Amino acid sequence: MVQYLLRRVIASIPVLFGILIVTFIIARVIPGDPCRAILGEKATAEICERFIELHGLDRPIHEQLFIYMGEVLRGDFGESIRFSMPVTRLLIERLPTTVELSISALLVSLVIGIPLGIISAVKHNSYIDVITMVWANIGVSVPVFLLGLMLAYVFSLLLKDTPFWLPPSGRVSPGVPDDPFYEVWKLTVPESGFLPAFYQFISRLNILNALLTSNWELLKDSIKHLILPSLALGTIPMALIARMARSAMLDVLGQDYIRTARAKGLRQRVVVMKHAFRNALLPLVTIIGLSLGSLLGGAVLTETIFGLSGVGRTLFEAITARDYGIVQAFTVVIAVFFVIINLLVDLSYSYLDPRIRLE
Amino acid sequence: MKRNLFALLSLLVLASMVLAACGGGAATEAPATEEPAPPPTEAPATEAPTEAPAMPEFEGKSLMAADCDSTGIIKGVEATGQYEVTFTLCQPDPAFLSKIAFSVYGIYPEEWLEATAGAEGRTSEGLEKPIGTGPYMVSEWNRGESITFTANPNYWGDAPAAETLVFRWSTESAARLLELQSGTVDAIDNVGPEDFETVSNDANLKLMERPALNTFYIAMTNTFAPFDNQAVRQAIAKGIDRQRIVDTFYPPGSEVASHFTPCAIPNACVGDPWYEFDPEAARAELAAAGFPDGFKTKLYYRDVVRGYLPQVSNVAQDIQAQLKENLNIDAEIVVMESGAFIEESSAGRLDGFYLLGWGADFPHVTNFLDYHFGAANPQFGNQSPTYTEILAQAAQIADVAEAAPLYEQANNAIREYVPMIPVAHGGSGTAWRADVTNPQASPLSNEVFYVSDPGGRDVFVWMQNAEPISLFCADETDGESLRACEQVVEALYSYEINGTAVEPALAESCEPNDTLDVWVCTLRQGVTFHDGTTFDANDVVATFTMGLDASSPLHKGNTNVFEYYDYLWGLMNKPQ
Amino acid sequence: MTNAENKIATLDAEGISLKSVSLWQITWRRLFRRLSAVVGMIVLGVLIVIALTAQWLAPYDPIVPMMDLTPPEPVKARQDPCIHLFGCPRDQPQHIAGIDGNVRDQFSRLLYGARLSLMIGFSTVGFAIIIGTILGAVAGYLGGWADNVIMRFMDVLLAFPSLLLAIAIVTVLGPGLINALLAIGIVSIPAYARVVRASVLSVREMEYVSATRALGGSNIQILFRRILPNALTPLIVQGTLGIATAILDSAALSFLGLGAQPPTPEWGAMLGAERNQVFTAPHLVFLPGIAIALTVLSFNLLGDGLRDALDPRLAHVS
Repeated sequence: MVQYLLRRVIASIPVLFGILIVTFIIARVIPGDPCRAILGEKATAEICERFIELHGLDRPIHEQLFIYMGEVLRGDFGESIRFSMPVTRLLIERLPTTVELSISALLVSLVIGIPLGIISAVKHNSYIDVITMVWANIGVSVPVFLLGLMLAYVFSLLLKDTPFWLPPSGRVSPGVPDDPFYEVWKLTVPESGFLPAFYQFISRLNILNALLTSNWELLKDSIKHLILPSLALGTIPMALIARMARSAMLDVLGQDYIRTARAKGLRQRVVVMKHAFRNALLPLVTIIGLSLGSLLGGAVLTETIFGLSGVGRTLFEAITARDYGIVQAFTVVIAVFFVIINLLVDLSYSYLDPRIRLE
Repeated sequence: MKRNLFALLSLLVLASMVLAACGGGAATEAPATEEPAPPPTEAPATEAPTEAPAMPEFEGKSLMAADCDSTGIIKGVEATGQYEVTFTLCQPDPAFLSKIAFSVYGIYPEEWLEATAGAEGRTSEGLEKPIGTGPYMVSEWNRGESITFTANPNYWGDAPAAETLVFRWSTESAARLLELQSGTVDAIDNVGPEDFETVSNDANLKLMERPALNTFYIAMTNTFAPFDNQAVRQAIAKGIDRQRIVDTFYPPGSEVASHFTPCAIPNACVGDPWYEFDPEAARAELAAAGFPDGFKTKLYYRDVVRGYLPQVSNVAQDIQAQLKENLNIDAEIVVMESGAFIEESSAGRLDGFYLLGWGADFPHVTNFLDYHFGAANPQFGNQSPTYTEILAQAAQIADVAEAAPLYEQANNAIREYVPMIPVAHGGSGTAWRADVTNPQASPLSNEVFYVSDPGGRDVFVWMQNAEPISLFCADETDGESLRACEQVVEALYSYEINGTAVEPALAESCEPNDTLDVWVCTLRQGVTFHDGTTFDANDVVATFTMGLDASSPLHKGNTNVFEYYDYLWGLMNKPQ
Repeated sequence: MTNAENKIATLDAEGISLKSVSLWQITWRRLFRRLSAVVGMIVLGVLIVIALTAQWLAPYDPIVPMMDLTPPEPVKARQDPCIHLFGCPRDQPQHIAGIDGNVRDQFSRLLYGARLSLMIGFSTVGFAIIIGTILGAVAGYLGGWADNVIMRFMDVLLAFPSLLLAIAIVTVLGPGLINALLAIGIVSIPAYARVVRASVLSVREMEYVSATRALGGSNIQILFRRILPNALTPLIVQGTLGIATAILDSAALSFLGLGAQPPTPEWGAMLGAERNQVFTAPHLVFLPGIAIALTVLSFNLLGDGLRDALDPRLAHVS
């Protein structure tokens, strides 16, 4: 097991290296200069010359690459040209939004998708099956941005004066107290290093922070703001997961050992959950891993529509504004996340199916 | 064997990366914004010697350039009394008062400027929690979400109506309107052109139309054929139905441009109005100029919404259709990225038509005409001396009536030469909940919220287009940041609410001499900053030192370029 | 396996007469059995017909604005749909899908958009399949070094969320439909490379391959005639589903302003341009959106049907 883990980790290294190079190239090859993109139309050539000099954008490319790699590996992602703050700080501020959104979207898709898939498989070819599959297919086909707009229309405008009203944008209503947990618990926070960054990151996960400080107002408010974006973002993974759960369960339910279990007289529920589902998990886990990818990517559109400042949207704006620091750093972070998720998926394979470990 | 080789290679790669990390080149742009500022040493050529100790005797500081070659318009700023500042200029500036009211020139406390001037740029404290004299103080900036301000209890003017002010933002006009309608915000900026009607028809909302102090124009770079032919340009000018563009794509409150500068500004609309739409004459003239079958060219634009162009791509497509329909000109649409577009267009390198506009920085005709039609501006290709020389002359004349005949001549010359085709002055609007008092739609986008009472509620929530970049507006250019700063920091003069006239703010008056090159400002007394320090003339000197003097240790900001100080005044002691 | 090798005998009720049926015929029959696949094929058929005949079907020009048309008054921008059948007065010009922001008939633009979407889907997937097949075949067949390098590169590509990578590529190349197609194609390559590699691996060591080699067949011959046809089935399924994804991705890019440039009538661009008018002119947002959803749905249904029809495990000879 350890050997397998080690082998997989070593295999990831060239991928990480490749990611660094690709992100650097992308950031540098984008045409247009960041000066006018950031300073606006009234910047003269002279002003831009000073700007370029100030930010070291006139050094030779290979020098920039070497410096970049060194910085990334030391955890220093440089400065954002636009915001004039360390990109690390931006990351700490924006990553929690995306993490919260992705996790809740994934939860939505799992909580609704898996049971639906299982039920459809068990009640194969019945009305439930047909309806679920039709709806799942539609879910996969509707563009995320359209779905988001429609949801906002229905819940924020049409249901305006009802108890079902949901806010159309943002993460939290202004005026709602959101004291970070380390202040409420009166923890001593060191000046620098990893710990304060970690604390800040956790405190900006609104739901977690609310739970940690028993702040029910914040909890309710955050959840309300999170419902629509999660629904919009989670629909496609939900449909995919439902379909995959159904087909995997169908595969497994057709196996001989299931027939044996039934012949033994075991109750349907035990058969399904204890024997069938566990083995259907394998392809399901793959889909879940891939879905996290689509969540991070689809998040750009959802974040734009619902006015959330998450990693996806910040990255998109940074690409447009030629803010190299953000483009490089955020892309690396996202890609590294992926690699880690893939690694975890692989590991779960070997846990779920011992045969794979022995390869 | 192959597997081992592969593992070995991976380890080698890992080792080299570790080497890069540890060896790694010295950090280039060290993000040293957290470093404490070294105490500023006074550079010899600029600042007067003594450090004023806390003594009853007032020691006035001063900022003086060595000569007019090492500076722009401002030669010196001196504290000639505890509450008196004298500005010495290198040339007469009739627009001085209009310019000095611009929010970029807001006054900061001297000690705070020193404390927040980091080694490489202003510290994050300086960028995010500015100290000023304004009606609100910054309480918290929740990045990506909102900015919260609290009322200044010691404000020298009228007490703010709402105890708390919150800024929020959204790039989608539909989202802003939705928030307004659901009651989660009290006022929004830039109502979508289609939504004007919705807001007007809603009894719970109030629409405020913003006067159109901007211009949208179609430019032609006349160093490229066939635009080098004046007859061709004139023909094209007659071939665009500008009324159709304004009627179809602009919100109410917009108007077709009769001259380049919007008529609300004095001396803007003297001289003959622009050509009427006349497609037959246009085609005939184009044929006479040698293009009976039109020609092929390009139409460049950037997909960025501005007050002068609220529906960019629609207008571009319509212009393309009109060029084809009226003049048989095939213009291929090319959408460019904003920064690249500005770079290429301002250097005059775009080989075809391009769409651009201009929003007023300060309400003076020189802000429009001199920038665009000055001899040094290459954006249209070649400028004509028939107007460049007149404009240079007229800029020095303070009296509107006296300058009028010159501007008439200039406008007519521009009309004759057709460097560009002015199309529209774009109106925009803000929308307010009906129970908010004093709803505003400032022509300069200068809304100040302390006068607006949100229906008795404690919190006023404003939603604009985008998040401010930083709150240190001395070094900012975008309107979203400037508006946020305006609530906190004040300049010597200010623009009146909902108007463009200037009125005294931190200065009770600023009197020029006869030649308009020395201005003496008498400051308001009894004003305190948010940190408790008293406002006096040294704060004005320190602020202008920070902004103008490139060699001063105070000259630290966000981008460190101080664009508006440079562009409207000219920096001192610029490094060569 | 070619048709020649795969004729399966069928027996009639008495078990006597033999009729050869090819794999494709079986597939068709099983495909038609599934209602959803049939629905998908019908919708797709309609779309293809529309795409081919758009210039005759469309009542107006999709690009030229109708500024000075018809009494009693010219049409306004963003006007609601006017369908005579549903009660719109006869003296007003009929616009089934309403008018768009540039005073053009939206119905005509939707029809031309079908042509564009189908072209987008087929060309991106075609490009990705060709490149992906080459890479996957080389990786699977040669193994060793080549396999490792190619698959690592595919992993790097897969490490980025596809939409973000496509955005980055388009930003590098510049906005435009062709560049968007290229970006989406590049981003789709890994999936096909993996599919081809997997089937090449599964067949590589089989006996009929070594037999062919013993008979003197060259590597290329083996690859093309013996191994690759094996990959055809999963490629078809993956490709059909991939077209659906490609259309969605291209709509997303156009929505963000990076794909089809104005005045091209691409559905995603139409939706994106009008997204702030969703409350005042919903027909300009929902109709293109529904068009996208229907197209993607039909490809998904077809792809699902093909997958089930081609799946040997569900085989029952009929």
